[in-house]
Amino acid sequence: MSLIRALSKELEARSDESLRALFAARPDLISPAVPDFAALAARASARVSVQRALERLNKPQMQVLETLHLCTNTDTGHSVSAAGLKKCINGATIAALEPILNTLQELALIHRADPPATVHNPGRQHFYLPVGSLKDVIGIYPAGLGRSYTELVRLQPAFAQRVVQLVAELHQSGANIMAATTPMDAALALQRWTSTPENLQHILSEAPARTRPLLNKFGSWAMGAVPQAQRKASVLHEGRDVGPVDWLLARGLLVPLDAGHVELPRSVGLSLRGGAIVDHFTLKPPVPELGQTSAALRRNAAMGAIAEALRLVGELLYAVREQPIVTLRSGGVGVRELKRLADSLRVGLSETALILELSALSGLLRLDVDSSTWVQPPSLEWLTLPRQEQWLWLVNAWLASERAPSLVGQTLPGPATAAARSGSSANPINALSAEAQRPDAPLVRKRILEILEELTLEAESPDGKAPVLNAEAVMERAEWSQPRMSRRFSSLVRGILHEAELLGLMGSGALTQLGSAIATEQPELALSILGEHLPAAVNHVLLQADLTAVAPGYLAPELSEKLLLIADPEGQGPATIFRFSGDSIRRALDAGQDAESILTFLRTHSATDVPQPLRYLIKDIASRHGRLRVASSPSFIQSDDEAAIAELVREPGAASLGLVRIAPTVLTSSASPRETARVLRELGLSPAVQEAESAVVRYKRTAPVSGGLRPVYMAPRTAPPDDDVEAQLAVLRQHRAVHGEASGEAATQLGLETLQRAIRLKQAVTMNVVDGMGNSNTETVVPVSVSGGRVRVFDAAKDTERVLSIHRIIDVEPAVEPHK
Amino acid sequence: MSDGPLIVQSDKTILLEVDHELATEARHAIAAFAELERAPEHVHSYRLTPLGLWNARAAGLDAEKVLDTLLRYSRFPVPHSLLIDIEETMSRYGRLRLEKDPQHGLVMRTTDYPVLEEVSRAKKIAPLLGPRIDGETVVVHSSQRGQLKQLLLKLGWPAEDLAGYVDGTPHLIALNEDGWHLRPYQKLATENFWAGGSGVVVLPCGAGKTLVGAAAMATSSTTTLILVTNTVAARQWKDELLKRTSLTEGEIGEYSGSVKEVRPVTIATYQVLTTKRGGLYPHLELVDGHDWGLIIYDEVHLLPAPIFRMTADLQARRRLGLTATLVREDGREGEVFSLIGPKRYDAPWKDIEAQGYIAPADCVEVRVDLPRDERMAYAMADDADKYRLCATSETKTHLVEHLVALHQGEQLLVIGQYIDQLDEIGERLDAPVIKGDTTVAVRQKLFDAFRAGDIKTLVVSKVANFSIDLPEASVAIQVSGSFGSRQEEAQRLGRLLRPKQDGRAARFYSLVARDTLDQDFAAKRQRFLAEQGYAYRIMDAKDVPAG
Repeated sequence: MSLIRALSKELEARSDESLRALFAARPDLISPAVPDFAALAARASARVSVQRALERLNKPQMQVLETLHLCTNTDTGHSVSAAGLKKCINGATIAALEPILNTLQELALIHRADPPATVHNPGRQHFYLPVGSLKDVIGIYPAGLGRSYTELVRLQPAFAQRVVQLVAELHQSGANIMAATTPMDAALALQRWTSTPENLQHILSEAPARTRPLLNKFGSWAMGAVPQAQRKASVLHEGRDVGPVDWLLARGLLVPLDAGHVELPRSVGLSLRGGAIVDHFTLKPPVPELGQTSAALRRNAAMGAIAEALRLVGELLYAVREQPIVTLRSGGVGVRELKRLADSLRVGLSETALILELSALSGLLRLDVDSSTWVQPPSLEWLTLPRQEQWLWLVNAWLASERAPSLVGQTLPGPATAAARSGSSANPINALSAEAQRPDAPLVRKRILEILEELTLEAESPDGKAPVLNAEAVMERAEWSQPRMSRRFSSLVRGILHEAELLGLMGSGALTQLGSAIATEQPELALSILGEHLPAAVNHVLLQADLTAVAPGYLAPELSEKLLLIADPEGQGPATIFRFSGDSIRRALDAGQDAESILTFLRTHSATDVPQPLRYLIKDIASRHGRLRVASSPSFIQSDDEAAIAELVREPGAASLGLVRIAPTVLTSSASPRETARVLRELGLSPAVQEAESAVVRYKRTAPVSGGLRPVYMAPRTAPPDDDVEAQLAVLRQHRAVHGEASGEAATQLGLETLQRAIRLKQAVTMNVVDGMGNSNTETVVPVSVSGGRVRVFDAAKDTERVLSIHRIIDVEPAVEPHK
Repeated sequence: MSDGPLIVQSDKTILLEVDHELATEARHAIAAFAELERAPEHVHSYRLTPLGLWNARAAGLDAEKVLDTLLRYSRFPVPHSLLIDIEETMSRYGRLRLEKDPQHGLVMRTTDYPVLEEVSRAKKIAPLLGPRIDGETVVVHSSQRGQLKQLLLKLGWPAEDLAGYVDGTPHLIALNEDGWHLRPYQKLATENFWAGGSGVVVLPCGAGKTLVGAAAMATSSTTTLILVTNTVAARQWKDELLKRTSLTEGEIGEYSGSVKEVRPVTIATYQVLTTKRGGLYPHLELVDGHDWGLIIYDEVHLLPAPIFRMTADLQARRRLGLTATLVREDGREGEVFSLIGPKRYDAPWKDIEAQGYIAPADCVEVRVDLPRDERMAYAMADDADKYRLCATSETKTHLVEHLVALHQGEQLLVIGQYIDQLDEIGERLDAPVIKGDTTVAVRQKLFDAFRAGDIKTLVVSKVANFSIDLPEASVAIQVSGSFGSRQEEAQRLGRLLRPKQDGRAARFYSLVARDTLDQDFAAKRQRFLAEQGYAYRIMDAKDVPAG
């Protein structure tokens, strides 16, 4: 029976409860909804879905599944029981394996099957087979073991050519190996020669030193890089000082794949592991050795970090309001622009980049498409929120964001590193550029927070101390809890931990109360903790005679903004020091303030008197401000005749020019020189126009940018909503009666399964194919491979290979072979 | 969150809110490891430097205590990165130790092998070290103790000096406390110094640094060498020691250009020690040729370079540095600390003033407008002449006359940089002028007359900046400053800070030409005082009240 049909039957027989658990664990199965169990089984067997399901498995589950995959054969229906698996897994017990097998079955990754015909099954054990597509998903090195000699002979023509001679040489040199005449026989001979740990032990007893350590490097992964892998190595011409690689290659214990790589064949790998597929099996996750940090330190670090992050984001927004951030033509923000921001925030480049990314991913900055600059959206709600909610906004946006801010400044792997090798500088990732996009970032973040919470709970001690968690500890746990996903972690985990520290989720190296609340999805709890501990904003400053104003704490934003206009900020930390100088006062005067308004402002907001030197400075600068004035005017009229000028100002005919007398002999006009001259000529005067009309400056109007919406964080990959599950169940149960005809989705999967099975068994299939004109033909061909929506087939009748699109195939059946 | 008086900034500064009720407590707690940087009226700022943290370690404070202090008194969460930084910095101290080995003499030991390996490979350090005894010990040439310590400090691996001090020749010295007592801060400064072995005491002008020196001598009771800036100061030290201690005339020697006496207590000038003849310093022998138990450096901020070098070789003797203004325009404060020793006591000027030990001072910057012709001359002058032109403006001379008239009857100093200007003012005011070429005898006579009140007004050049004790001077007018020197300005104000008999406040005028270099330099000069809490009032010349 087809595996999909078998699975379909099994799913149908399950209770509703069991199906609900399945949907919760693999939400992609019912999104979108499926019409019947056949379709459900087809989807559960689809490669992508299996891949996703595998990502959720932990190390022991993965080990059992891989062993199961190696011990079974879906084509022949050779199944395996827990007892069978136990033999292949060192350190496993039936009691430990059975729950895992149950889970895997619940997840529809394996299903019950009949025991193989050769097995006597008195204990009525359960036997299992994996889903069909597991083979493709698990890859060519299940459990890190290489392929068998026979497979290598089939797939590596160079090895196939050499293997007969290799075996002959071994035979000649006295090894206990059968002589062979064909590559397949030679492969079998090698397989038998290396098949038990004792045999291998015997072979290796004559190996040169360093051979064992070299082989151990292949212990967890069968392929390795070796220079000149295809070198000539022969047992017969071996010197006394032969190297371990030559020695192994000469005996076929390593098989060259290409010029730079070798593979450890499966039988050798298995013997090295003492005959078991898995040599260390444990249900307990590794517990890292961790330092500890006190609750007070953690809270101090978290609160400090949060206050600092919020202040920096606020300052960044201020800087952006003053001058939008220019983007590079290639996208992203260049280093020079970043440097400018870093100067105005008074922090380093990398921290600036992080703050910038954080602001942008939180929607506090938007790319204005017309001007290609990053601007702050008008009427930003964030600015008006209390600080704890501002924080939650950032955290939610961060959790949900597909950007990886910490990648900014790192160099790109791939071609860029090649450039670095060749001497030219590699291109670092720019802030806000597409290179820092990582679609799986939300998922990884969530997992990391979960792991942090897990490790913290495990190591929690009664005195409130928490473990210091570093990237290594997190990675180690990730390797264990989701080995298939951990590779995605490795490039992000450090950055994520750093960002979590910035946001106060981690502090002093440990998960904080806030971090724990966020990890367990209790934002309200986090808010209340924060509200309690975050100091209130101050709305006064202390003015001092050394021309500084000190804000003793977090300054209310509107006040801070006004102060920034009349003084320059100094220093870095919870308190801000503002220094008044001639330049800063002048800046305020330029912005339209006068001495009195500045002094009144300072008087209202200062807890102390305005010191005399500051008063003097402000008045002194104000009194001299504007001795020279700069303004623009489209044109001016100059005449040595003061009387004529005076007359012109009063002339009603010139009223349209908007004349202003700025000096006894100079008038400005609000019209262009040409227009001014025309009006003057109309009045009977004869002006001389000195200049050509200046270019008209058109100010580009930027389209209004929509305000950032408060981000709502939805934890990625949560179970599907209950309603959907119930609806799906109802649909499935309704269709129970009318099953038989496979739905479209199931049919495709079934067809693919048939094709793949035929490819593996090299069987012919009969297909109904629609051609370009819409006519359908029935053909009998041997499929060779399936990929990318196409199938390559060998047409025995025409003795040619062809490629067919899968969507043109209406149905596939194994060909009925006339001779059998 | 606690409501402490400190705000710890992530840029390694600590703000102290002065009006907070715990402010004094917190100040004492952080003074041990943080440097006071600015002390304006409401919020003082301290800075955490590696040197300060290492000094704290040297004084027996560990990182945990420092962190605990910060966390206890801080109003807001302390930036975590800062805490880590403090811990790391402090852990660098003491991995190398200088010790006396009974067999090998001075040795450097380590608890951390790679550190020793690292420093002994440093190019500058290698020649100072002798043979390696074992993996963790290396012989140090004893004459290189100071230089080695200094270089290690620069490398960031300060050595803990456990080699101790030589005792010196004992010589009984006692304080002669009849009718006066050491003030509490003087006592504390002396105790801190003695406990630490060597170091610098920073006290404002007029706060009685000489007495701290005398008390240190009394505690030490050994032969003592005192290094001072000039002969007049040497005489003042001698007078003060005769008055305050059991020392007699015969026990105190002067070693200067004119007299060369070596007695149990010898007072030498920097100048005579640094006199060079034929490429040699003939008088340096005074310092290392005798078994001094204590060496006092007066006005340590003026320590000239040869004395720096010489001091590096004197690490086995106790050293006390005294100063009011440890700012060096050459930025060598760090060297003072590493060679003489860490700061053992420091108090903001305003603190001492509040306790009534120095006179309150009112600083006024008077801005004068240059007349039109001078402005033109200024505008067209070469850069090299610009400052002189604006600093010596005619208008200033008139203003000085006006101010002198205003303060009729008070003891008044006119201080300036340019001799021509001073001569002219002296002539106009009919007052004596003391400048570089005035002989010591004449200077002494004039200062005595001024102290006695026979002369009301003195015009002085920068020769009177330091160490000149003029208790009754209550008004000073600075007509021109020496460019942007912060410590000169402070020292000039310092001349006025001796407490007055009638408790009057001192008045310090600084005349500044508006819109010129003079104004820029004045702002620079005033920074030290402003940071010590001396706020300058600024007024226009026309607003000066009529006499």
